[in-house]
Amino acid sequence: MKTIDTKGLKCPQPLIMLKEGLLGLEAGETLRVETDNNTSLKNLVSFLRDQGVEPEVSTSGKVHTVVTDVPEKELEGTNPAAYCSADGSDNDYVVCIKGELMGEGDPELGKVLMETFVENLKLQEQLPTHVILYNAGVKLAMKQSPVCSALTELEELGTRIMLCGTCIDHYGLQMDIGVGMISNMVVITETLASAGHVVTP
Amino acid sequence: MKKKFDLLSTIEYGGCSAKLPAGLLSEVLSKLPVSTDPRLLVDVDTHDDAGVYKINNDTALIFTTDFFPPICSDAYEFGEIAAANALSDVYAMGGAPLVALNLMMFSQEKIPLEVFGEILRGGHDKVSEAGALVVGGHTIDDHPPKFGLAVIGTIHPDKLITNAGALPGDLLVLTKSIGTGALVSGMKNGLCSQTEYNRALEQMKQLNRRGAELAVKYRVSGMTDITGFGLAGHAMKMAEASKVSFRMRTAQIPLLPGAYQVFEKGSIPGATFRNLEFTGPQVHFTRGVEYNLKMLVHDAQTSGGLLMSVNPDHAGQLVQELNDLDPSGGGVIIGEVLMKSPRTLYFE
Repeated sequence: MKTIDTKGLKCPQPLIMLKEGLLGLEAGETLRVETDNNTSLKNLVSFLRDQGVEPEVSTSGKVHTVVTDVPEKELEGTNPAAYCSADGSDNDYVVCIKGELMGEGDPELGKVLMETFVENLKLQEQLPTHVILYNAGVKLAMKQSPVCSALTELEELGTRIMLCGTCIDHYGLQMDIGVGMISNMVVITETLASAGHVVTP
Repeated sequence: MKKKFDLLSTIEYGGCSAKLPAGLLSEVLSKLPVSTDPRLLVDVDTHDDAGVYKINNDTALIFTTDFFPPICSDAYEFGEIAAANALSDVYAMGGAPLVALNLMMFSQEKIPLEVFGEILRGGHDKVSEAGALVVGGHTIDDHPPKFGLAVIGTIHPDKLITNAGALPGDLLVLTKSIGTGALVSGMKNGLCSQTEYNRALEQMKQLNRRGAELAVKYRVSGMTDITGFGLAGHAMKMAEASKVSFRMRTAQIPLLPGAYQVFEKGSIPGATFRNLEFTGPQVHFTRGVEYNLKMLVHDAQTSGGLLMSVNPDHAGQLVQELNDLDPSGGGVIIGEVLMKSPRTLYFE
């Protein structure tokens, strides 16, 4: 295993050396970094997590040892779950949710279907770039909604959850919003118009 | 010829900016009693750039201070930058500086006395450029050195621009490029060119004077200046004070040449990580935003630009006039103000 000794060096030197060290390695290989600086340790771990790997840290006396898998090269500079839907890819898609119900017919059924649909979104190999909710659809992003946590997970994975501000005002839901960026029709139109394709449940 | 004294040799090799972590500061301040008085137009409550006190119906005083350890090697340039940075807090309220006091910490045992004089001369010249007067100051023995100013400015109370006035629908305009922290760190670690570093120095010396005048002219609704907490940190404070959220496009944010490359090579100052920790879950990045950009919006700026929230009807003209002044990027629209959402900042 390759070891990088950064003992005695302060930030940002250890991070510079880690990045240099990663250059010569393939994804899946293991790298060890030693540091005796607490701030540097924190920053090294923060950097590696952002690259989608979870480093192991052990401390002996004043020396911290960080052992990490080498992240996928393509992942550098992006969020973990993100790689397959990096911006601009042909398969980019936007999910557009127009109401609380999925499909026409029995409203009870429509509600269950919509919940299952939203729960399933985060399991897709390629995640949507945006989920736009308008009209009664905004109710799905309220704190008490059964899919609020599923939408929050999607947001954590880097999907932009976009709510129609006019609709929130109309239904008087300002105080209940659980997740998402309140937006306006200018932004919603622009996002829909520039989407690779739009998926509507 | 005598070798010129290198001010950077006095500070610890660490490249971490000297500001106390923002979260820690808020915690301490929250335990102090808040002064209230109807004449106090801006207090510590909104974490604004300066305190503002109304003297009468025509005049309000803007009172502020800022000082820090050396950011560059040359004493005169350090004086200029520290002064431009301190004066900026007056500009960030839309005001004009009147008088300033020097605040100096300097050890004559460790540093040649002429360096002291050069720092003061740089500060003095910058204050003169701003049309204000240095009326005195205070020095104590301390090492490493620190320099800055306490500044008084004025503004008509009706024209005051705070960080609490941003309105949903406004556009966000930034008047200087991001990346001074990156390039200072890059220079120390040999990861950027002298030209790139010089450009950062020039930008840090630049007064926010004209930006402030235009902000008043176009009646921007909210404003702050970008310094140690980085673009994200200061934008977050402004959005919180205004009870709104901001959406910003990283592709539109102007970067100093070379800053991105410095971060790509891993030379990311500790202050950047601290700022990232401070904004935490209040900030959302879409998947498309790459790591270096995410870090650059958290890069601690010294004497950074103004962030203005302006009515879309005035934004075009405002940007035009800012760019007439500085064609290298005097004003750029980087985002917009949204209604208060669950998070405070949305980057894409």
